[in-house]
Amino acid sequence: MTLDYFILVFISSLGVYQIAAIPAKLDGLCFFKHPAIQYIFGILAIIGVFGWFFTSSDRNIHTTVEGSQQLGLFLASIIASYVFTTILASIMQAKVNSRGGIPREGRQYNMGIEMLKRTTLFGGIKSSLRKERKDKV
Amino acid sequence: MPPLAGWTLNVTGFVGKSPALDHVMRLLVNDFFIPLVICLVMLALWLGYSDRIKRVYMQRTVMYAAVSIGISALVVKLINNFVNPWPRPFLVNDAVIRESARRAAETIFYFPHDPTFPSNGATIAFAAATGVWLGNRWAGAILYVLATLWAVARFYAGIHFFVDVAGGAAVGILTALFISKIFMPRVEPFPTWVMKLCRLLYLA
Repeated sequence: MTLDYFILVFISSLGVYQIAAIPAKLDGLCFFKHPAIQYIFGILAIIGVFGWFFTSSDRNIHTTVEGSQQLGLFLASIIASYVFTTILASIMQAKVNSRGGIPREGRQYNMGIEMLKRTTLFGGIKSSLRKERKDKV
Repeated sequence: MPPLAGWTLNVTGFVGKSPALDHVMRLLVNDFFIPLVICLVMLALWLGYSDRIKRVYMQRTVMYAAVSIGISALVVKLINNFVNPWPRPFLVNDAVIRESARRAAETIFYFPHDPTFPSNGATIAFAAATGVWLGNRWAGAILYVLATLWAVARFYAGIHFFVDVAGGAAVGILTALFISKIFMPRVEPFPTWVMKLCRLLYLA
């Protein structure tokens, strides 16, 4: 049950990241170039994993996944899903229009997910390190 | 027996009459379904704004709502330590109510044995809905609908009296109002530090 719940949250949050990235214009989280495909992918991921979870076995049973453990699993799973999404998006380089990644003002690491509008996570970290090295020289 | 205990008999009497309704209620009453949908809505609000200022505002709202969920769960634990006024509907002395609730719980859910008042599920769901509603009326309204469905399903399944879910909703709403309006603004700069840490980790 614990693993099943982890998978449920992991895949459904992956779907949410894909859907939320469209209005937020977070290109660094996107797997696809076309918003429509991305939207469909997100919806299918959520519906698919919910369908699998609730039809694969009887979930209305007294389980050990309760309260604080459920919260811990949820947090671990959404963070793992976020890391997976950023890494996969970085690898795929889908829909990412990297402009060198250096913001006009402020350090890169101060920008948080705002950076994902311009580049992928890998691209952002790389440009941050480059900028740090340049500043030292 | 709590006030309005007779309502349990009226509602649990429907169980078994409509298989389609029972099927929907089995999904709604589940420990994972509605809580997860609520959390996913909050996750979408955390990320889903293009404008940086709006996104930061919404992230604060979601953070306050998440804190409200945690604190309201603690409040329920505290209440349970001091007050345990009546047993679950399927354990009461009144044989008619007990048997109706027992049949409903057996068909729809399982037999939980932790204290029934206030409903833990209603508390955290209404805390989340209120916390979000303070920052985004539309999303808050959706969460209120989900919270109400969860509370109704638990009442229908015979595992709570009406007073349990109404009490849980009241505890959740009041806790979220206290956390969002009074507590969190007074513990600055801690929320700001948390937000900065999240930005540093590319999470916000």
